[in-house]
Amino acid sequence: MYKAVVIGGSAGSFQVITRILNSLPKNFPLPVLLSLHRLKHVRSGFVEALSIKSAIEVVEPSDKDTIKPGKAYLAPSNYHMYIELNKKIALSTEEPVNHSRPSIDLTFETAAQAYRDKIVGIILSGANRDGAYGLQKLKQLGGLAIVQDPNECQVKTMTEASLKMTQVDHIFTTQQIINFLQSLK
Amino acid sequence: MSRYELGIVDIRSIIKLLDDVYNYDFKNHALTFFKRRVENFIKTQNLKDTEGFIQKIEKDRSFFEVFLKDICVETTEMFRDPSLWRLLKEDILPKNIVNNPNYKIWIPEVSSGEELFSLVIVLKKLRLLDKVQIIASSISDINLERIKAGIFDPKKIEVNDANFSRVFTDNSLSDYYTLKEDGAYWDISLIENVKLIKQNIIFDDYPKGIKMIIFRNQMIYCNQILQERYLKIMHYSLVPSGHLLIGNNEKIDYWNSDKDFVLISDTESIYKKKLS
Repeated sequence: MYKAVVIGGSAGSFQVITRILNSLPKNFPLPVLLSLHRLKHVRSGFVEALSIKSAIEVVEPSDKDTIKPGKAYLAPSNYHMYIELNKKIALSTEEPVNHSRPSIDLTFETAAQAYRDKIVGIILSGANRDGAYGLQKLKQLGGLAIVQDPNECQVKTMTEASLKMTQVDHIFTTQQIINFLQSLK
Repeated sequence: MSRYELGIVDIRSIIKLLDDVYNYDFKNHALTFFKRRVENFIKTQNLKDTEGFIQKIEKDRSFFEVFLKDICVETTEMFRDPSLWRLLKEDILPKNIVNNPNYKIWIPEVSSGEELFSLVIVLKKLRLLDKVQIIASSISDINLERIKAGIFDPKKIEVNDANFSRVFTDNSLSDYYTLKEDGAYWDISLIENVKLIKQNIIFDDYPKGIKMIIFRNQMIYCNQILQERYLKIMHYSLVPSGHLLIGNNEKIDYWNSDKDFVLISDTESIYKKKLS
């Protein structure tokens, strides 16, 4: 019943993301949209690192790429990644939001508008408040809101900010997030 | 943190107004982008809603100019993607300009000017600045006036300086700008021979005989129809073998585009016009 998963993370989320990607089956039925804070002047290496053990393909999309199931899309460095209503990627070099480009808020908000109640949004460990507004928007539009258990996060700021703004559906450990995603058909 | 949100009907009526009153066609801009941009404009200009926007802009030409400046996304920084600028400096520019009189470079949307100033600084360092002709266009008068005055955003200094040092190690970017009480200013002698033109290249005339076009991260704000129109114009504008530089996560992909352009650097998104 869900059509997409969107994940936001910052400081302390890299290992969580790799664990999640490494545990997804090769035939995972949904696209995974990743908006992760990263060094803006380092363009290469990140997608390669995430790909090492991932069964699903991880790509940095080009502008206007069509989103396909069973593939992970990593927001490229120094770009915002929007999701258009026609389920295509739109990149942007507009000003940073919450000092971030990519901004998790923007990816979440536009993905929520494109997928409405057919999306799962997950906020992971991080050191600022980015993502809190986007997750609230996603929840308001009918999506399923999940936050990584702050007790498990290397840095709690981002998950706590999200929890403060939104009555989320689940507070999950990494293992619970994995179990949940594996159960999606 | 709630903000005014535009619906599809609002967007349509705004696009219609801008077309009717000012002859500017925004219907082929990327939807998410245009929506967000107008929402931000309504918020920063305290216009309250679509009605407020329409009332103010339909009677006030100078306010429309402010809108045009705002719709142009500022270039993020100087020497964005330093590896591209290294390639230009070490290979493409010297190789192509030396022994090539009348080398013309065009920047079709100069926006806040960082691509232009990065280019002229590279050319100055290569001692090639007086061997080229540079044309820079924009739809925004306000942007062009700011560039002529050398104004740039001092908030960008840190990232500008860091990027410069990834391209050049023998001097610093501060050799080319001055900090004053009211802001940061480029050395405008760098652009004294640059032609700055207000134009909307989709409707107006455009320069011909161009050997290099720099149009990075501009077509990401258009839909595929407008993108193809831009690419056709740039194809006509370029001489055979002329270079087209686009953003590093953009690609040229329209029907039969491989007959028009050939990709020569995948990592830096550099294309060449094919010999016909």
